[in-house]
Amino acid sequence: MPRTPDCALEFEGESVSAVAGEPVAVSLFAAGVKVLSRSIKYHRPRSFFCLAGHCGACLMRIDGQPNIKACRTLASEGMKVERQNAFPSGGLDVLAAADFFFPKGMDHHTMFTAPRAVNTLMQKVVRQLGGLGRLPDPSPEPQELPAGERLRVDVAVVGAGPAGLAAAIACAAPGRRVVVFDEGDRAGGSLLSHPAHGVAAADRLAAEARAAGVAIRCRASAIAWYPEDEGGLLAVAEQPEGGGLPRLVRVTAARYVYATGGYDVNALFEDNDRPGIFAARAVGTMLIRHGVLAGARPVVLGDGPYAAALCEALAAAGCKVMPIDGVRERVVAARGRAWVSGVDVQSDGKTGPVTRKIACDAVAVATLPAPASELARQHGAEVAFRPEGGGFAVLTDGNGATRTPGVHACGDVCGFRGVLAARLHGSEVGRAIARAFARPGEGA
Amino acid sequence: MAGKVIVCRCEDVTQSDLDHAVALGYSHLEEAKRYTGLGTGPCQGKECMVACALYLALAAGRPPSEVRPFTSRPPVAAIALGTLAGPDDPGEGGG
Amino acid sequence: MSAPTTAGPVTAGPPKRETEVLIVGGGIMGLAIAYHLALRGVSDVVVLERGYLAAGASGRNGGGIRMQWSTEINVLLMLESVELCKRFAGELGVNVWLRQGGYLFLAQSEGERARMEKNVALQNRHGVPTRMLLPEEARGIVPELDVSSLAAACYNPRDGILFPWPFLWGYANQAAKRGVELHTFTEVTAIEPSPAGFLVQTSKGPVRAQRVLNCAGAWSPEVARLVGVELPDRPHRHEILSTEPLKPFLGPMVSVLSSGLYFSQSMRGEVVTGITVPDLDDGSVKLGSRLRFLTTLAKELVRVMPRLAGVKVLRQWAGPYDVSPDGSPIVGEVATVPGFYLACGFTGHGFMMAPVVGKYYGEWLAGGPRHPFFDRWRLGRFAEGKLESEEMIIG
Ligand SMILES: Cc1cc2nc3c(=O)[nH]c(=O)nc-3n(C[C@H](O)[C@H](O)[C@H](O)COP(=O)(O)OP(=O)(O)OC[C@H]3O[C@@H](n4cnc5c(N)ncnc54)[C@H](O)[C@@H]3O)c2cc1C
Ligand code: FES
Repeated sequence: MPRTPDCALEFEGESVSAVAGEPVAVSLFAAGVKVLSRSIKYHRPRSFFCLAGHCGACLMRIDGQPNIKACRTLASEGMKVERQNAFPSGGLDVLAAADFFFPKGMDHHTMFTAPRAVNTLMQKVVRQLGGLGRLPDPSPEPQELPAGERLRVDVAVVGAGPAGLAAAIACAAPGRRVVVFDEGDRAGGSLLSHPAHGVAAADRLAAEARAAGVAIRCRASAIAWYPEDEGGLLAVAEQPEGGGLPRLVRVTAARYVYATGGYDVNALFEDNDRPGIFAARAVGTMLIRHGVLAGARPVVLGDGPYAAALCEALAAAGCKVMPIDGVRERVVAARGRAWVSGVDVQSDGKTGPVTRKIACDAVAVATLPAPASELARQHGAEVAFRPEGGGFAVLTDGNGATRTPGVHACGDVCGFRGVLAARLHGSEVGRAIARAFARPGEGA
Repeated sequence: MAGKVIVCRCEDVTQSDLDHAVALGYSHLEEAKRYTGLGTGPCQGKECMVACALYLALAAGRPPSEVRPFTSRPPVAAIALGTLAGPDDPGEGGG
Repeated sequence: MSAPTTAGPVTAGPPKRETEVLIVGGGIMGLAIAYHLALRGVSDVVVLERGYLAAGASGRNGGGIRMQWSTEINVLLMLESVELCKRFAGELGVNVWLRQGGYLFLAQSEGERARMEKNVALQNRHGVPTRMLLPEEARGIVPELDVSSLAAACYNPRDGILFPWPFLWGYANQAAKRGVELHTFTEVTAIEPSPAGFLVQTSKGPVRAQRVLNCAGAWSPEVARLVGVELPDRPHRHEILSTEPLKPFLGPMVSVLSSGLYFSQSMRGEVVTGITVPDLDDGSVKLGSRLRFLTTLAKELVRVMPRLAGVKVLRQWAGPYDVSPDGSPIVGEVATVPGFYLACGFTGHGFMMAPVVGKYYGEWLAGGPRHPFFDRWRLGRFAEGKLESEEMIIG
């Protein structure tokens, strides 16, 4: 997919071309801006990692608002974008010296506790170094605060990925109000980052859901389950079309389905936070949604089906792909500072570990996503640690029912299973819900 | 010079910091969270919780099957005070 | 993989079978008292905590510390407490990040202003440099304040905020170093008075103790009931939140008297803020988070600081206030159960009191002088109708 910029952002006083509607993080990357932020303690250079609004690595000042996710903010003409937490600038940050003074890490609790004068001075310095962005710009006129909404439905689904959409489709019926919330700007979830599926597949599934009478609300983040408010409600923050503050939607439903998928997590190796080390799904999303290559010579780290699909797609796009399975061969360190320039790879030789250096210009980390179980847990669901499921998997019975009546879960949040299996799981869970509605006394 | 292994990106917590916390006796996830700040950054542990929990368990010699997540505190995604300060319903007057 | 030996303060295995002093509750109060006992040579002490250290209010509070009070005793004790906090890092080896940015109280009515003036005069008499401010002057300290509804303000530049956790680590480490046993995940389930003291049943076996201290905070009425004593304090849920980290912009802790709103900026840059929200009072400790708290707080905070409308909430939680009927603590030996001591009822300000209360408790039980607060804040005052009302309670 060719990428044709059609607007310009104002990045720290300079004009940067962008495609209107793509994430600002992608626009900046495509324009060669390597460092988007500086880390909180050591001022290490950072770029985005997950491109899914989860990781916190791409917080920037956008149109006068601090700590805005550049990966969730869609580019538009004249948008003002700045880096934060750097002195004198995001590109050159002298505070990064802290990174060298504390090569392993630091215990600020026991640092400089005496003598008192030194302690006092240190605390003053630390105060000035604390925090990320500056206060929001004052608004020129008194701000109109957004009015909330109350919504009562039969089924509230959180997550418009393959599992959530399939569940919604399977339990939809004439007269039954089924609504799906998704924090993304487009329905599809992990379909949107998967080279074998992509935007077209996501759109088809979303169209099928709408045809079945399902309402899909995008840019709507479910922020919490509050058991004590008004007998229990799901709070959703919904971003209005034209920008401005999100509004608060209080949702109550007969059934809740958590299909929140998983979070991308990084692998552990030295300097694993270097810009250019991305979640594999971020690399996939850039490629298939935005027509941007993460690099010409990427390393793909991981041995799952997603890693394989990504390798294939990147190769087809002309990249020289270097797969590292993470088991037989492990990445132990990254090289480069403002951008990754290579990785050290270790494998077991005859007489001990052997390390080789690989030059690269991007790393795609394809570890298992960690189930996004927070909402389900808040809603009483039980979880268990499942290494093969990526983390704390929500426990359900065969019908996707958690231990809390009326609360269901499906897809990767129940332990990683992948796009197709997640969709099948969603369908099963949705059908079980439909059957429950059909039982006398349950009424739709 | 060896580089840092970052276990919590938001709060710049390193693997050595976790080792240090374990050595001080703060090897449970909730305790290590308070001591190192892991999981308290803008992502609230979405990226780092699982890896830290597992690392701590192994470092302290506990079986991974015992690993528990830390309490999930609302909100799951950051929400503006202005959103919360608005009138509850469209009909309702100013906040 | 075998477990490495740890240098931590927590003792492994079950508690010892006999001890001189047994402290129920590993919050700031229990730990501070344990440390001060050990410091004075009484190290045959066992602290039992049901959860991890500071699982109760001590690990959930706002870290405010102030000298602005309405009673002489509190003003004097807090003057001393601030001094102790300043020395904490040097003496206990842990930074507590005390930042003296002051407390700025906001009054919205003439009645509040009058009470404020009376309290400021009292504080001044004891050397606390609190001063009354005009609304415009309050804006000089916090430029983002909307002062349109203000009647007056008062400000003491020497009040401040601190980071609660290091106090626990400091007290726990230093107490353990001096021989105090600290047991986490150990619950006290029964306490039987016996001729030689008490037989205390715990989830990790029995312990005989000559003296038992009830430092169980909001759970102290439950613990007192184990020896048949009814306490007048009640648990009350207090919710609090923290925002995204921002560069330093807010010097003082600001508090609105009429609503109980308070907000400050931590060393990490987060705005930490709470407000009182009505709750069902059924005697149980509730720690759930509510949307109602968020909306109540946001409405009041955005009214006072409109500039914060775009600032985002990162995390909310709740902790238990241990509310005493007159706002003053309940301390000392229970007359009807000799050897059973109380350190509870600290309402919303037990953290800042702990350094001084711990010190004087330790001094007294180790055979030293007995601070006058043990008389004033004795349990018996409620039955005698001699309340020690403190009106400067936030939340
Ligand atoms: C949200 C909030 C904000 C606050 N803000 C401030 C502030 O700004 N400044 C200030 O000074 N104070 C503040 N406070 C008050 C302060 O936190 C408390 O007064 C103080 O921490 C009380 O300490 P404690 O040790 O008495 O109680 P806790 O810390 O509650 O400790 C009691 C302990 O006893 C344990 N326990 C209970 N029953 C048993 C049992 N049967 N066996 C074993 N263990 C048991 C509990 O698990 C608990 O850890 C605030 C409180 C809250 C909740
Ligand atoms: S990575 Fe640890 S809090 Fe975000």
